[in-house]
Amino acid sequence: MMNYNTNQLQIRNNNKYENFPQSHQLITTLNGSVATSQTLTTTATFNNNINSSASNGNANVAGSEDEISKKLPKEILLRILSYLDVVSLCRCAQVSKYWNILALDGSNWQKIDLFYFQMDIEGPVIENISQRCGGFLKYLSLKGCQSVGDQSIRTLAQHCHNIEHLDLTECKKITDAAIDPLSKHCPKLTAISLESCSLITDLSMKALSDGCPNILEINISWCHLISENGIEALARGCNKIKKFSSKGCKKVNDPALNALANFCPKIEILNLHSCDTLTDSSVRNITMNCPNLRQMCVSKCADLSDQTLVCLANNNPFLSTLEVAGCHQFTDLGFQALGKNCKYLERMDLEECSQITDVTLAHLATGCPSLEKLTLSHCELITDDGIRQLAAGSCAAESLSVLELDNCPLITDATLEHLTSCHNLQRIELYDCQLISRNAIRKLRTVLPNIKVHAYFAPVTPPVGIIAGMFVNPRYIDVFIQSTIDITEFSEDL
Amino acid sequence: MQTIKLQSSDNEIFECDLAVAKCSATIRTMLEDLGIDENSEDEVVPLPNVNSAILRKVIQFCTYHKDDPVPSSTDDDENKEKRTDDITSWDADFLKVDQGTLFELILAANYLDIRSLLDVTCKTVANMIKGKTPDEIRKTFNIKNDFTPAEEEQVRKENTWCEEK
Repeated sequence: MMNYNTNQLQIRNNNKYENFPQSHQLITTLNGSVATSQTLTTTATFNNNINSSASNGNANVAGSEDEISKKLPKEILLRILSYLDVVSLCRCAQVSKYWNILALDGSNWQKIDLFYFQMDIEGPVIENISQRCGGFLKYLSLKGCQSVGDQSIRTLAQHCHNIEHLDLTECKKITDAAIDPLSKHCPKLTAISLESCSLITDLSMKALSDGCPNILEINISWCHLISENGIEALARGCNKIKKFSSKGCKKVNDPALNALANFCPKIEILNLHSCDTLTDSSVRNITMNCPNLRQMCVSKCADLSDQTLVCLANNNPFLSTLEVAGCHQFTDLGFQALGKNCKYLERMDLEECSQITDVTLAHLATGCPSLEKLTLSHCELITDDGIRQLAAGSCAAESLSVLELDNCPLITDATLEHLTSCHNLQRIELYDCQLISRNAIRKLRTVLPNIKVHAYFAPVTPPVGIIAGMFVNPRYIDVFIQSTIDITEFSEDL
Repeated sequence: MQTIKLQSSDNEIFECDLAVAKCSATIRTMLEDLGIDENSEDEVVPLPNVNSAILRKVIQFCTYHKDDPVPSSTDDDENKEKRTDDITSWDADFLKVDQGTLFELILAANYLDIRSLLDVTCKTVANMIKGKTPDEIRKTFNIKNDFTPAEEEQVRKENTWCEEK
């Protein structure tokens, strides 16, 4: 009765009713197996003590001999294995001959993430994977695998021609000699990260340009040797780029950005954090030539002015994320333009845009109903009135979920009262907002019980002598003393 | 509330909510393609691949989950993170059954094309494999080691590169 062979189980993929007639022959088989499963209950209890070590508080005790392989068709077993990590798969491969075939099935080896092994991953492992996966491998993450060298990547490129997604973040040993074979053998590459591979030079950009025209996403952040020449070569060959990241690449300058603008009109996501020589002129070219731009980061590009914001506003109405931390030349005028035209903005980081005032908040309040996250850290001119307008604005009731106001020294308890209308607010940052009281935070929490508030309070009015002996934020002490003086003066006035 | 009659392989009739039965894509297609009249009192949908014990469990599962949002077809296998630690406590309790029943449920979910049941049952089996040595896996499922000692040594060599050193 239990010896029916797997061929009889033709249920595989019988999802569609069209296949139904053919499965009629199964009725008898399955009727048979109904009886089987009922008898099995007793068998299972019988086997219980043998398997008790394996059962983890779960009633799933083993059934008859190798019931799993006999009962479940290969497709379903593969579906189960598709939930397993590399280690579990390699252990399954050692269970039996059939399980070896199942575990080494190419479908399990399309996507591999070795991040968790990191330092342990050396040449032989990559070679083993390359041979095992061959043409099946589509996705490989070697993020943080610092021992990986050029030879390993060369082996990989030679065996795995169909790789599409390769993450080499922090593989610090690799050089241009690793990228060259990739460009020769892997034309399907669509996403590559070389973040923090600091030995990579313009030669790699040229190689990718020649051999990998399908690249959609590339990350070369902190590859500080890459210059305008490399970027121009890349842009000429890889016109399909949608996502480009060059955080901290000091040599990514105006000519480099102009090349991207000229050759890569499909750019949607652009991260130029700390490319600090960039000026308004190249950003203008990007905004004009890349109409699909949705996410833009130019934080710490301190030479940019309101011109940049005006260009974004005029050319990129679908902008959803804008990070401009440390762009201290930006003023209310620039944000007025944005508020007018970019109504899909969801996330904005304006940290240390020190010139902006409540006027900016008024424009965002009327123009950006989707605003979810707003960072105003160190925007020291912001007052309660700006927050009042924001809280009365179109984003307040439903969208706004994170508001960062740390180091906004002018805001007071009134700000928190205004924010009670922001029903979706999940988190608020209030570090170093000296005029915010514990009481006001408590009140806010009664209205928005799930909100996370990050604030810092020094011990309540400790005598000066004790302050000296305590671990207190020095910045706070300054202000504390200052405000003490203020109060003194104030009382004298009285 | 509108109901429908389902007939198991051992000829038991189950009357259940139409909405519950429609969790099964196979039943949906049958109703649409074959023009089975949803309003007819006497219409019975035969399910010759599912016995009454399993069908009872399947109906119980679908009744509990009938209001769940339908997962979009775009987040299909390839790009989705394959998690197995997201089984709800109700599902985990529901699946505290012997292995034979669990496998029958998988087959029924596959035949009836109930994606959520197929996912959670396959995850449950995957969790029974995770973290175990090859020998523990054999014991869990009562699988015979059919490698010769030489083969076993070879397979072990090929597959221990990812084990901790």
